[in-house]
Amino acid sequence: MKRLLLALCVLCMVFAATTCFADKVNGVLAEERVINLPDDQGKWYISVVGDTKSAQYQTILKWFGQDPALRKLKNQVRFCPVTLNSTVYKTRYSMNVEGLPTVRFQNSQGVVIYEAAGKNLPFTAGGLYGALANNMAKAQSRPILPWRRNHAPPGPCPGPCPQPDSDPDPDPGVAPDPEPQPIDNGEEPEFEPAQSSLPPLWLMLTMLVASVGGGAFVEWRATYAKK
Amino acid sequence: MRRLLVALVLCFSLAGCEGDFNQSIFVQPNSRPLVVNKERPIVNIPEALRQENWKGNQREGSCVHATMIGLLRWQGRYNKANKWRRTYANGEWPTGLATKFDREGVRYAYTDKGDVKFIEWACRTRRGCGITIMGGAHMVTLVHLDTNWACLLDNNNVSKYKWIPRGMLIAEWKASHGWAVTPIYTPAAPLPQ
Repeated sequence: MKRLLLALCVLCMVFAATTCFADKVNGVLAEERVINLPDDQGKWYISVVGDTKSAQYQTILKWFGQDPALRKLKNQVRFCPVTLNSTVYKTRYSMNVEGLPTVRFQNSQGVVIYEAAGKNLPFTAGGLYGALANNMAKAQSRPILPWRRNHAPPGPCPGPCPQPDSDPDPDPGVAPDPEPQPIDNGEEPEFEPAQSSLPPLWLMLTMLVASVGGGAFVEWRATYAKK
Repeated sequence: MRRLLVALVLCFSLAGCEGDFNQSIFVQPNSRPLVVNKERPIVNIPEALRQENWKGNQREGSCVHATMIGLLRWQGRYNKANKWRRTYANGEWPTGLATKFDREGVRYAYTDKGDVKFIEWACRTRRGCGITIMGGAHMVTLVHLDTNWACLLDNNNVSKYKWIPRGMLIAEWKASHGWAVTPIYTPAAPLPQ
């Protein structure tokens, strides 16, 4: 019996030690090497571009973190927050956004499905979700007009092109790295059907029939019941 | 005569704007919208985000680290990339890099068996990857791979991409230990099309 207890104790200690070492390496939570590579090239993109000091930008980011529908959508797409002071904004996006903050929704090929900036952005998380859902539905129901057709073509470079920064600033003061997104195979995002504020159709029909029937009965009684 | 002069001036002013390999990137903040027909290479790392190779304290090149730093930046992990630049240097092997990734909590995947599906996946998902060349003595970034062509970004000269036939790249890579590695995060969104 003693031996059995001793063996159990040893087993528990080994298990505990293994768990500790598996979870932490040098005090840093270790993520395992990814074995099953995510086949996520079909995922769509949502970019939120703005100044970290802007309250509107922070609000939009908060929507994607707190609103259940937007949070779910965020995990279905490749979510790319881009800050005004980042190098990637200056080199890739500054010349193709029309205002700040900007929310841009692109399919996996980069075609812009929806884009709104500044005052044109919806006022609520629900409004933004609805706008994204509607534009995705529109995009799927008709051929997508390329973004370029709706915008002025680029003019020639007015002067010598800028040279690369051979020694990038090691600490450009960018925002903290965003939380890693879940690793999964992803395709197009799925939107939940919009919730209507009206009562269900069957209830409205029932009420209509009951009202008409009730009215007719009252009228009939008033007309014929006394006789 | 005046028209000829104007045409010549225009020619000269536009000559410097020829981007490499269909790149249409002009860093002109708040200028007209930039549009592209198709972004090539697929992993179009801005020049300012590329990391040049440097010599470590053991007088060894740091091509593996430079490659990883560029990829981390491309995938939005700027702080991690900057910390990597400050912390690690010198030559590297698959097991050593895996240990460092584990220590830093970096999500990653690699092959050291020359599995072509890995590099196809890395480019298809727009993440890119580091691959060994020159018999395993050097690592560069694979930024594009299609049925005919591959495109490399060499950290010894980050100013331009280098396009080579796909078959040549794969043969070179396989003859160089077939090591390919990449972090797994969210790549930068494509330019609007």
